Amino acid sequence: MPTAVDEHLDAAFAALADPTRRAIVARLARGDAIVTDLAEPFAMTLPAISKHLKVLERSGLITRSRHAQFRPCHLEREPLDAALAWIEDARREWRDRFDKLDAHLRELQADAEPAKTAKTSKKPTRRRRDHA
Amino acid sequence: MAESRQSEALRYTRIFDAPRELVFRCMLEPEHLTHFWGPVGMSTPLDGITVDPRPGGVFETVMVADSGSGSYTMRAVYDEIVEPERISWTDAGSGMRSVSAFVDLGDGRTEVTIEQRNAPAAFGEEQARAGFSSSLDRFSAYVKGVHAAGAA
Repeated sequence: MPTAVDEHLDAAFAALADPTRRAIVARLARGDAIVTDLAEPFAMTLPAISKHLKVLERSGLITRSRHAQFRPCHLEREPLDAALAWIEDARREWRDRFDKLDAHLRELQADAEPAKTAKTSKKPTRRRRDHA
Repeated sequence: MAESRQSEALRYTRIFDAPRELVFRCMLEPEHLTHFWGPVGMSTPLDGITVDPRPGGVFETVMVADSGSGSYTMRAVYDEIVEPERISWTDAGSGMRSVSAFVDLGDGRTEVTIEQRNAPAAFGEEQARAGFSSSLDRFSAYVKGVHAAGAA
């Protein structure tokens, strides 16, 4: 069963999947802003920007004050940091894995080098594969 | 609901100084996977790797901590295997999908790109399976600990 943390991350990733919304988040990281300010760098109508803001708001990544006249948008660090931490961990896992794969490939090819003229390679796997 | 899970959480690219066929085989054959699959601080013994390389086939790896403090099993099902271009699998419990794309750069090198989707659901599932803490911070600390152990 998905936990609240999962659902928040789900929503955060869905929201961050869009480049316009990532740009809005990056802008808000520098400070609160109102919709017209946020729309300014984009060739987009205010309703289009508002739609993105609604997605961000639903994801929990931003909040908007309900009462203030201009309803400035505010970035919530906690859900963003949670999403970024997940990404960082997954990235590190693949980085480590690929570091090891790189070393493994070097070894394989170094082993194969002396046997290059003879057609018998020392490559460890010669299994038949049926997936083609 | 399915759609909200389709967001791409991670894209990771690396260029290897090796021909595409060889890199592709490394990502698919247990005899190769055993050399690099586990994260730093963990190993993946050959007898703990199951690969049934066809759509719907099993991809399972048992990773064992070098410190002897435990093991973690990844269970997945292959979605697609297109030799030598693409391998994708979905984590059986969580639904996280990983797609590996192999591009021949034409000079003996190969570019591999990993894309991971449905990540958040997988995150919770992985934690539950491995008995890790349910908190993000402690998970992060666990990973850092594993890395520190590997570096020592």
